[in-house]
Amino acid sequence: MRYVKHYGTWGYILHRLSGLALTGYILIHIYLVSGLHNRPAWQSEMEIFRHPLLVVLEWCLFSVVVYHALNGLRIFIIDYFNGARYQKQLLSAVLVLSVILFAAMGAVMFI
Amino acid sequence: MIQVKVKVYRFNPENDQQKPRFETYTVEADPKDKVLDLLHRIKWEQDGTLAFRRSCAHGICGSCAMKINGANMLACEANLKNFKDPTNIIVEPLQSLPIIKDLVVDLKDFFKKYEIVKPYLINKTPPPTKERFQSPEDRQLIDEATWCIQCASCSTSCPSNWKNPNFLGPAALLKSYRYNFDSRDEGTAERIHVLDTNDGVWRCHTIFNCVEACPKDINITWHISQLKKKLVSREY
Repeated sequence: MRYVKHYGTWGYILHRLSGLALTGYILIHIYLVSGLHNRPAWQSEMEIFRHPLLVVLEWCLFSVVVYHALNGLRIFIIDYFNGARYQKQLLSAVLVLSVILFAAMGAVMFI
Repeated sequence: MIQVKVKVYRFNPENDQQKPRFETYTVEADPKDKVLDLLHRIKWEQDGTLAFRRSCAHGICGSCAMKINGANMLACEANLKNFKDPTNIIVEPLQSLPIIKDLVVDLKDFFKKYEIVKPYLINKTPPPTKERFQSPEDRQLIDEATWCIQCASCSTSCPSNWKNPNFLGPAALLKSYRYNFDSRDEGTAERIHVLDTNDGVWRCHTIFNCVEACPKDINITWHISQLKKKLVSREY
């Protein structure tokens, strides 16, 4: 049974997926960092994360954090400030702001 | 006139041999026809075994709510010219409710949830000689919530409801708002405990499928958000 996905539905799906991604990330992050008990161990591990592919992944992680945080704010506005009346405009604002911050972070990281 | 291919969901639980399936009918239609007109033509002229609910055919009774081209709406309000491709129409029953036959679903569960939220005026004071007065401003507060025709389009479009059938659902929560925010009502203390549970307002994840599905353009999520606010601002 398939159901049409409206604009708000996509906002919800992205929120859930980004939430899952962040949960996965935090578990991996804790696992990788938990064994590093001294400075050389920490530094050698951080050396791995200078790999260009991992830096790009880190940039992608930022986009997930930004979307999840901004949409969390949107949900807060929906629940407390009549945001349900203009949820579509709010979602557009979240998406535009996410893209702007993502690009800005890209500029900071790579330029 | 145009030729419309109508794919209709067919299922009869009493007939074990037949699994749920789609049957395609070709119907001649005017571009201004409603999907209900097509269903009528199929039932009257091609296949009398097709079962669906309808009554008023004017968007008031809420009987003909069904999933048309993947979205819940009233068949009597689904104008062919509003579809991207009016020559291909897919009609399915409301999702997540047990099917009685074809497009007819069992609404027992839907109305049970209605009863749970106590959808009636609770007022302990003796009735006055005339009616209980309400100011136009207080009436305005519940106006939108009174537009509901109980067609079940909202509750069956809600992903939270598909996943957890115990969720009260948008329709029951809207009704709960209608009485909890009625200035003449004194029953909030009796009603509020069913809202403040996992299966009450907190199961609403603001997906807005119900708002898109509502044929009466009620912003149901807004009403649920007012209930959430009422719950968290309670004083003990």
